[in-house]
Amino acid sequence: MRGAITTLKKELLSYAVSPVSWIIAFLFYLIRGSEVSNIVYGFAMFRADVNQFPAATYGVNSTFNMVLLVPGIVTMRCFAEERRTGSIETLMTAPLRDSEVVIGKWLAATVFFALLWLPSVFLLHLMEYPDYFNADISFGPVFSAYLGMFLLSGFLLAFGCFASSLTDNVLLAAIVTILFSGAMVNGRGILLQALGEWRDNYYARELLAKMDVQGNFSNWFARGLIDTSQVAFYLGGIGFFLFLTWTSLTSRRLA
Amino acid sequence: MGSLGYRVPTMIRVVDLTKRFGPTVAVDKVSFEIGRGEVVGFLGPNGAGKTTTIRVLTGYHPATSGLAEVAGFDVHKHSLDVRKHIGYLPQEVPIYPDLRVVEYLRYRAELKGVRGKERKFAVSRAMAKSGIEEVARKLVGQISHGYRQRVGLADALVANPPILILDEPTSGLDPNQRRRIKQVVRDLAQEHTVLFSSHILGEVQDVCSRVIVIHRGTLRADGAPDQLVQQSTRASLSVRARCASVVLREIVLMLPGVVGDTISLTDRDGVSSLSCHVEPGADPTTQLGARLQDAAIAVQTLRLELPTLEEYFYSITDGLDHQAEQAVAVGVEAETEIETEPAASDVIDDQNGDANGGQQ
Repeated sequence: MRGAITTLKKELLSYAVSPVSWIIAFLFYLIRGSEVSNIVYGFAMFRADVNQFPAATYGVNSTFNMVLLVPGIVTMRCFAEERRTGSIETLMTAPLRDSEVVIGKWLAATVFFALLWLPSVFLLHLMEYPDYFNADISFGPVFSAYLGMFLLSGFLLAFGCFASSLTDNVLLAAIVTILFSGAMVNGRGILLQALGEWRDNYYARELLAKMDVQGNFSNWFARGLIDTSQVAFYLGGIGFFLFLTWTSLTSRRLA
Repeated sequence: MGSLGYRVPTMIRVVDLTKRFGPTVAVDKVSFEIGRGEVVGFLGPNGAGKTTTIRVLTGYHPATSGLAEVAGFDVHKHSLDVRKHIGYLPQEVPIYPDLRVVEYLRYRAELKGVRGKERKFAVSRAMAKSGIEEVARKLVGQISHGYRQRVGLADALVANPPILILDEPTSGLDPNQRRRIKQVVRDLAQEHTVLFSSHILGEVQDVCSRVIVIHRGTLRADGAPDQLVQQSTRASLSVRARCASVVLREIVLMLPGVVGDTISLTDRDGVSSLSCHVEPGADPTTQLGARLQDAAIAVQTLRLELPTLEEYFYSITDGLDHQAEQAVAVGVEAETEIETEPAASDVIDDQNGDANGGQQ
């Protein structure tokens, strides 16, 4: 695991010095800040229940953009850039396991993503100030909402790592990941139509229910409900795509 | 090693190594062994299969068939162990442009398992050896190609591995930087086994005690550079003497080692010039000198041009396809050369002119 930690540290350093990271963070908080302040005005104007505030903030556009666009941008360079510049050769001839490289890179992307998300908790915390709204926001639903977000983004980032390992074209890796993220968020309706009469099949229905990212989120995680089968779905998906990434990476060593 | 009469442990062993990319055979049944402490030049024209062989050795590519062992470990089955014993400088040195040199080397040292306090020391030692201390705090993306090449070298050295594989470490460098890298490699020879690929022959001759030549994926030669050149390439003999060309031809043909069908003759104003090839290792100059003297023929020039490594390289690679061109390949400097001074030769000429006149 030493190799994974070294890779993680190096990747985080690369994220920290990359202007792209700072541009993403800047845009995210610019947009999210304005959206949240709009919600605050709305709540004040209509004297809505302040405790509903967290749930209201999840549905804004910046959340969707964060889920749709950012995983592709964060992971696009993971392997594609290494392949493009040839540094994959020095990486793969260094004494560390391919699995350590994959885990290190994915973990770095996930930690970076978490670091982008976490400060948004303070936007919720603002509501709790006595001379502001003096809301009593319960910790549980916020925690489960963020957990759901991390699971989903970890899943999309794992796919992003895989997409990036298939090509040396950074842009292509990003686009493929963005399309996949889009399919995860919006694809259920299209799939349901495409399935025709199969939609009544028990397994198809269950699988689609697990894949219903929006439904999982708004009906479960955001309400403070953690369904282990959903957690298992995301963790399994992370494992699956990391395994595929490892396969793609290690295949060049096989005769 | 061999000359000392004891067996040195083998660090790199390649047996019948073959690597195909689809229908293309990049490396075809190549075999060689490299012992501990050897500095071996790995020569071949571009596209000969050097990089492919090196990539198999470093575990980057799998071999199609054959065996490759590094430090006693099979490169395919024990890739991780092999990689622990190798410092590798790829041909194109790819380094993350957004890191500082020292950050990059610290990262690489950590990746190679150099721990804690030792790491700082290892990084500064590698930087000192490669001469990159002055750019330590610069971003890799901002330093020149020569420095980047040396950062790659420092990366190969940082964990102090017993085996170094350097793939064209001097390509694209200016003469001073090249000299520096050669010096580093020479210093490394004390404690490391080095496989040094290049297509610049002078460099290999300077640095390596042994060369392995590969062309179109097959092994063409393996041995000490001087020996290889002497043993397997024809030297060219040229004589200019004041006599009839037929006479000179007869005398030369009687010498051992002369390749008869390569003789070319010119005759101008009673001075004959003859040039021909002699078999590898043969040196008929002394004998020829004596015979010409016996026959009282005035010699203006007599020299044996030993082939250079460059010619040798040419003859076993491109030259195989262009034998005709090889015949006119120009030698650089004659090693054995008997050239009479003009004044003295004039004197002899006069004497022999009489003698020849008498004979006629």
